[in-house]
Amino acid sequence: MRVSPNLEPDVLAGMQQSQADLQKALQEVSTGQRVNVPGDDPAASAAMVQNLAESNNNDQYTENASSALGQVQTADSVLTSVVSLLTQAVSLGTEGASSTTTAADRQTIATQIQGILGSVVSEANTSYAGAPLFAGTVDTPTAFTGSPTSGYTYQGNSESNQVQVGDSLQVQVSVPGNVLFTNASGNVLGSLSQLAAALNSGSVAGVGTATSAVTSAIHFISSQHAVFGNSINQLNTQESFLSQEKITLSSEATNLIGVDTATAAENLAQAENQNSAVLAAAAKVLPTSLLDYLK
Amino acid sequence: MGGLNTALTVASCALSAQEAAIETVNNNIANATTPGYSREIVDLSSAGSTDNGTGVAIGDGVELDGVTSVRDQLLSLRIQQQTSEQSAVAAQSNALAPVQTYFSGTSGTIGSDLSTFFSSLSALSANPSSTAARQTAIGNAQNLVQQFHATSSGLTSVQTGLDTQIAGDVTTINSLTSRIASLNSQVAAATAQGQDGGSYLDQRSALEQQLAGLTGIAITTTAAGDTVTTSNGSPLVEANESFALSAAKQGSGLLQISDSNGRDITASLTGGDLGGLLQVRDQAIPSFLSQIDSLANGFASAFNSAQASGYDLTGAPGSALFSIPATVSGSAASIGLISADGSALAVSSDGSANSNGNLTTLTGVQNSPLAGGLSPTGSFAALVDSVGNAVSEAATQSTAIQASLTQLTNQQSAVSGVSIDEESSNLIRYQQAYQAAAEVVSTIQSLFSTTINMVSGA
Repeated sequence: MRVSPNLEPDVLAGMQQSQADLQKALQEVSTGQRVNVPGDDPAASAAMVQNLAESNNNDQYTENASSALGQVQTADSVLTSVVSLLTQAVSLGTEGASSTTTAADRQTIATQIQGILGSVVSEANTSYAGAPLFAGTVDTPTAFTGSPTSGYTYQGNSESNQVQVGDSLQVQVSVPGNVLFTNASGNVLGSLSQLAAALNSGSVAGVGTATSAVTSAIHFISSQHAVFGNSINQLNTQESFLSQEKITLSSEATNLIGVDTATAAENLAQAENQNSAVLAAAAKVLPTSLLDYLK
Repeated sequence: MGGLNTALTVASCALSAQEAAIETVNNNIANATTPGYSREIVDLSSAGSTDNGTGVAIGDGVELDGVTSVRDQLLSLRIQQQTSEQSAVAAQSNALAPVQTYFSGTSGTIGSDLSTFFSSLSALSANPSSTAARQTAIGNAQNLVQQFHATSSGLTSVQTGLDTQIAGDVTTINSLTSRIASLNSQVAAATAQGQDGGSYLDQRSALEQQLAGLTGIAITTTAAGDTVTTSNGSPLVEANESFALSAAKQGSGLLQISDSNGRDITASLTGGDLGGLLQVRDQAIPSFLSQIDSLANGFASAFNSAQASGYDLTGAPGSALFSIPATVSGSAASIGLISADGSALAVSSDGSANSNGNLTTLTGVQNSPLAGGLSPTGSFAALVDSVGNAVSEAATQSTAIQASLTQLTNQQSAVSGVSIDEESSNLIRYQQAYQAAAEVVSTIQSLFSTTINMVSGA
């Protein structure tokens, strides 16, 4: 059988192939990526679109969670301060209800209670990142306006926000001011005003009733700690989940389009060997001819 | 005397036969690297025998029957077909390469801009009334809109760019067909004179292979020469006549290819570089464009309806954020942002500025299925997948067909290729035969002398 006398096309094809392999291996080593364009691996490229979207969202959820955590912790510390203010009011109220306390003393205590009321309202007007913490969803400079003597008006609404910290996880970050401070089952502002008024009027029985109203307000506010505590727990858990998820996503990305250095280096060495073998073979076979021997 | 004369005739025939053989070797060596050249062999046969009067028949020497090219028609045909297929997939692979850039990387794609837009929206969750955060989100919406425009116009410009190559292909096809037609008449003339017409056939076959690389062709061999038609049957060459294709811009801005009768054959041309380019221009890219259009349209509608369920920063009911045309087609090119003001984002669910109640509806669009059943992100991922598959399929096919084409070419070369080694050894053989025949002539001459001397000496 006659064989093809022209080796050039085969040799050329071999050289081109090994050069292409060498280039690919070199690209893998230099970029650290196996997939650079969709054509390299369509399925992996498509999966990377999802991976990118998820990791972007993951980063944002992490930021949201840390910002929400700050907000919830601030709100929680406000409740702690309010409880301690109310505790002071209760002891002042108890003093005011005593039969040994004079009318003048009661007036003084009333002024102190009004001072406490002012402090509580200023706590209730705390804002976080420029927005009031306890005005529901209304963008107002302060949640409560007014004065200890004229009374306070709530400027917010009864809505509350939840912050998105996962694709389907939202955590409650606020409780509206009217629920916290003027709630029927423990009216903080109302009971303090009532106490101040009773002290002013000198009614011992009134002072007693008002003091126990302040006490029930303490119980109510303490119970609301649970709402924020729960949110703090959720946010902490979610933060650690998100950081775990970030690692998972990034290792998924490496699996999809990356190449590990050892494999890349090995591929490169192999491609180099292959290329020099092809070139050596070409140098060997191309010049041979019968004419060399016909002398 | 008759015997010696006959012997001299036999010897001189042998001389001219070996000479012809040496000339053939010479021609083969001269054309060793000529593309498309098929090696020629000299046809020698023994010339019967005559009774020299003694009742013993002695051979009359050698006869030169002619010189023929060695070629395998079937192989040529298969090489032409494979060349068409190979050129088509190679053209596809090259034409799709610039398309890929719109779908790769972690930034500057519709997918990455979609993702950035949605995560910047999600940032409003913790800070619904922040002007800065709203402005960032709207800025990202603007980027997304621009990316839709850029991708759509990028793909369209790849399409129009291919037209330059298509026009070039049509010109080359026309020049090849006219040369094939003129070779047809040369081959016919040579055949009429009873000659092999080898070199014309080789040239024609090489041109036909070039033509096959440009577009799929069908060849029928007749006495008047090869009849060449396109894959859909439009005539290109018949006997000594060629029929030019023409390319003219249509209303769509793209070239339309017509045969010599003015019939539009753009859609029916397959194979070859032209077939591959047309496939990318008229099928692959339009399919990507329509997927992008559906994505743009579906995403904008879904987002607009999510806007409608909330309230903007001023407390007004949310209005549409993206403008899209009434038809899906062209949505990516003409999608627009209605408001560049961050306050237009309908984040609030109760009309209050600090409410973020509608935000989950807005961000939910990212993962909710659109009309096609896939989410916006999923749709883009599917698009990346189809672009990637088109490219990798073309590349894989190209490699596979190239391998079989190389094998066929090797086979053809085994049949028709000139081997210098073979020609060299033939040269030695013919040279020795020539020398021997010359020796015979000189021997006969000395026999004549002997005879004449014998007669004159008597």
